[in-house]
Amino acid sequence: MFLSLAFQIAIPDPNVNVGLILPELIVGGVGVIVMLVDAFARPTQRWITGGLSLAGLGAAAAASVWMWLNWAGNPPRGFHDMIVLDELRLSFTLIFLFVSALTILISMVWVENEKLPAGEFHSLLLFATTGMMLMASGNDLVIIFLGLEILSIATYVMAGFRRTDLRSNESSLKYFILGSFSSAFLLYGIALIYGATTTTTGFPGTTNITAIAARLDIARYPALLFAGAAMMLVGFGFKIATAPFHVWTPDVYEGAPTPVTAFMAAGPKAAGFASFLRVFIFGFPFVAAAGWAAKANAAWVSAMIVLAIITMTVGNIVAIVQNNVKRMLAYSSIAHAGYALVGFIAAGAATDLDTRNSALAAVAFYMLTYSVMNLGAFAIVTLIARRNDRRTEVEDYNGIGFRAPALSFTLSIFLLSLLGLPLTAGFMGKVMVFSVALKEGFYALVVVAVLNTAVSAYYYLRLIIVMFFRERTTPWSAPRVPASVALAIIITVIGVFYLGLFPNKVIDAFQKKPVTAQALR
Amino acid sequence: MQQYLITILILLPTLGAVAAIGHNFAAYKRETHYRWIALAFSVLTFALSLLLLGGGGNTKDGFQFVQNDPWINAINARYHVGVDGISLWLVLLTTLLVPISILSSWTAVTKRTLSYYVFLLILESAMIGVFVSLDLLVFYLFFEASLVPMFFLIGIWGGKERIYAATKFFIYTAVGSLLMLAGIIALYFIAGGTFDYVTTLNVLKEGVKLQPGSQTEALLFLAFAFAFCIKVPLFPFHTWLPDAHTEAPTAGSVILAGVLLKMGTYGLLRFCIAFFPASARSFAPLIITLAVIGIIYGALVAMVQPDVKRLVAYSSVSHMGFVVLGLFSFTEMGMQGALYQMLNHGVSTGALFLFVGMIYERRHTRLISDYGGLANSMPWFSAFFVIAALSSMGLPLLNGFIGEFLIMIGTWTSQAITWPWIATMLAGTGVIWAAVYLLWMLQRVVFGRITNPENALLKDLNAREIGLLIPLLLLMLFMGVYPQTFLDRSRASVALVRDRVVAPQRGGTIAETKASESSIVNRK
Repeated sequence: MFLSLAFQIAIPDPNVNVGLILPELIVGGVGVIVMLVDAFARPTQRWITGGLSLAGLGAAAAASVWMWLNWAGNPPRGFHDMIVLDELRLSFTLIFLFVSALTILISMVWVENEKLPAGEFHSLLLFATTGMMLMASGNDLVIIFLGLEILSIATYVMAGFRRTDLRSNESSLKYFILGSFSSAFLLYGIALIYGATTTTTGFPGTTNITAIAARLDIARYPALLFAGAAMMLVGFGFKIATAPFHVWTPDVYEGAPTPVTAFMAAGPKAAGFASFLRVFIFGFPFVAAAGWAAKANAAWVSAMIVLAIITMTVGNIVAIVQNNVKRMLAYSSIAHAGYALVGFIAAGAATDLDTRNSALAAVAFYMLTYSVMNLGAFAIVTLIARRNDRRTEVEDYNGIGFRAPALSFTLSIFLLSLLGLPLTAGFMGKVMVFSVALKEGFYALVVVAVLNTAVSAYYYLRLIIVMFFRERTTPWSAPRVPASVALAIIITVIGVFYLGLFPNKVIDAFQKKPVTAQALR
Repeated sequence: MQQYLITILILLPTLGAVAAIGHNFAAYKRETHYRWIALAFSVLTFALSLLLLGGGGNTKDGFQFVQNDPWINAINARYHVGVDGISLWLVLLTTLLVPISILSSWTAVTKRTLSYYVFLLILESAMIGVFVSLDLLVFYLFFEASLVPMFFLIGIWGGKERIYAATKFFIYTAVGSLLMLAGIIALYFIAGGTFDYVTTLNVLKEGVKLQPGSQTEALLFLAFAFAFCIKVPLFPFHTWLPDAHTEAPTAGSVILAGVLLKMGTYGLLRFCIAFFPASARSFAPLIITLAVIGIIYGALVAMVQPDVKRLVAYSSVSHMGFVVLGLFSFTEMGMQGALYQMLNHGVSTGALFLFVGMIYERRHTRLISDYGGLANSMPWFSAFFVIAALSSMGLPLLNGFIGEFLIMIGTWTSQAITWPWIATMLAGTGVIWAAVYLLWMLQRVVFGRITNPENALLKDLNAREIGLLIPLLLLMLFMGVYPQTFLDRSRASVALVRDRVVAPQRGGTIAETKASESSIVNRK
């Protein structure tokens, strides 16, 4: 209530409620300011843009937390129901802000060393973050697509940020071409859904997710619903890198500058999950009564089960044979998308609101843990890679364990967390996701996921073995750790153990229950 | 204080690790400081753990020193710890063996001492945690957490094949425990959304939500049993053990044999048998068969080992077979004997590994053929070594005898299998084989004439080495002469598990067995 009073601008009809998109506005606005500051600042004061961006992200986070604490009752909506405010949005928004802030910390010195334009980098990052946040807050396919494009275009540029490096160029171009392709799929899917949801009573179609869910049974062209949903599945599947839509991931991750890879593996993937969840869980929810709605739900859930199994298995098995650390982490990120899909499936098949909420919270929590440990790992990979990303082969890690013990042990912690060993965040994430899936009765799926975890032990351990159990024959000196990266690493280490040992508060916040009872659609 | 004692015990070694890391930043640091820090913290832990003997706050489930606080509300996981008669001794075994292994590494480990002692201390925390957890998720947490330090200990300070051994150790145990995790989560839903051990046990006792003898119960039993049988290790899951034992540094081997293997048998007793008695009964013939095969196979393979450390490793397979045999006899004597044998094995085999480490430190070889006539050059060493070997083979008046004797009596009267005497007879040959391989090894290593001139100049044990062996040797004697101290403590807790699993329809009431057991123990 307070929100809408405070920020309602007196334009009666368009239903504008600026308060509802306050975090997005802050981040986007700061992005513009950063661009201007960069244009007028002296070259020696480049660090200002980084600090400014961090401040903006902090303000947006404060705004999100404030919104979270101050809203009571049913989720307020605005812009004719195109924007929603709920736990799903806010938890993912905070994840995005966290990811961006850490990316800035990791890249602060890197940008200088590589002689790249810092201001551009930071403003692109902020725009990408705005896109991600819109993807989480949109309750309308058009908003989600808008957010996705804002994100994608910024990321395409960031992937090719090292203009003189061929690998970076290749990465950017590949990402751009395949990304546009997938966006086209998504857009086609949206169009088909719009067409399908014209009702027999003469209403035009809709792109509003809530309305789609309501119209599934009275849609005029039910067959188009399935085609549209399938197209969207492909489009989102590409963004979160599920097999068989994953082939771009290793090349793009390997070629992109390492801090950008860190961002891409955590941020856009989480954003993809946010809107993927929004569209499919709320747009095609579980329905008990027989009809098109029930069929659509059953169809995508069973398609997703196949996707999840392929994704986990392909990701883990191909990761075993990788000799480049960035490629290995790319395949590991594919595998992790598969684990998160297990929770997604549980949310899709949930028959009551409580279970669905806890499944959504589990997926959000999983993405948070994944972001924390993945960013930490990439921060160290960035340091070890040195200038021009030269040292990213597994061989380069030979015997560095006791040459740079702090870095190596920290990297081991992240790897063990990615593996899902207890005491770490990765374990808690897996427990949350698997337990909701088991609650819904997906026993086989969980067994496959557990076996996959066992397979993944091999390649995560391999890096630890290489670092600690082998001796180095060639000269190697420990990289200097800049203060900002050290801060990022400390934050992520604390995060890994905090989420692994005391996840209680975060999980509780993520699945705060709505005050009034709601139906599934 | 009482309710926090266990938490203090878990945290104290980790605190020591943190202190050692902190000391790393001090200006006056020396490589030799870390071992003192580690020793101080582990001795303090041992001293505090003796307070557990005093008992306190006994609950109706037999658990003492209970702390039960909420941990993750979303999935209703609680931080619930406590000790009963079963875990009490295993905790004490852990806290005793860690300072001893730290002392044994005193001069043996010279490189990267900081990380070495940090891993040892973290390992101690995890091991204590395993034995005191009364929440399945917390248990799993510690169970898995104990893997990592051991993985590093083997991989960094191990022998030539250390990478292979460490990887094999990690993958074997991790695969097993992942299936257990699936089992734990499944059990969570069956028990109505709780990981709590006591609550789950009570739900399962009602036998409503999980039908005893149902297929689900069998699957759950297998999921748990698989993890624990790998850890024990039960034949045919034992192949990781000789590699890991042989390649690990001495302290690693001592702890691996002394404590980590006990996690497997402890888990079998605490979870597999107590949770799923009907399935435990139906799988008992299979498991007893594997245990007997393990006893004989381990002994026979031990006999032909040219490497003395490998010999001790295979003897572990054999001895742990006895423990499993006793557990699955489902008689009070057999199970008490199994628990007792766990402690014996920790003390005796731990000691044997220490001896192997001591001669390895002097000669840098573990081949039996490189030794001979050590009794001439190292009289103290030889005397102690012989005592430990005799204890391991089960000589009366030493600890091994009591355990094996109880287990065999228990198995003989067991109703878990059709012809228990066959299993008992076969297992009995294991004792003979143990005498063969141990005495033969002693003959070739300790006795005879000195064939290799290098052995003539070996220094005998120094004060530190004698000092770290004395507690173990005294324990061997004490446990062999007066087992009542230990058995009395564990009786009630073991009886609780046994009452779950005993099959009333096939004779033998509990009262009878109790009477006959106490009379036999008294006679001794």
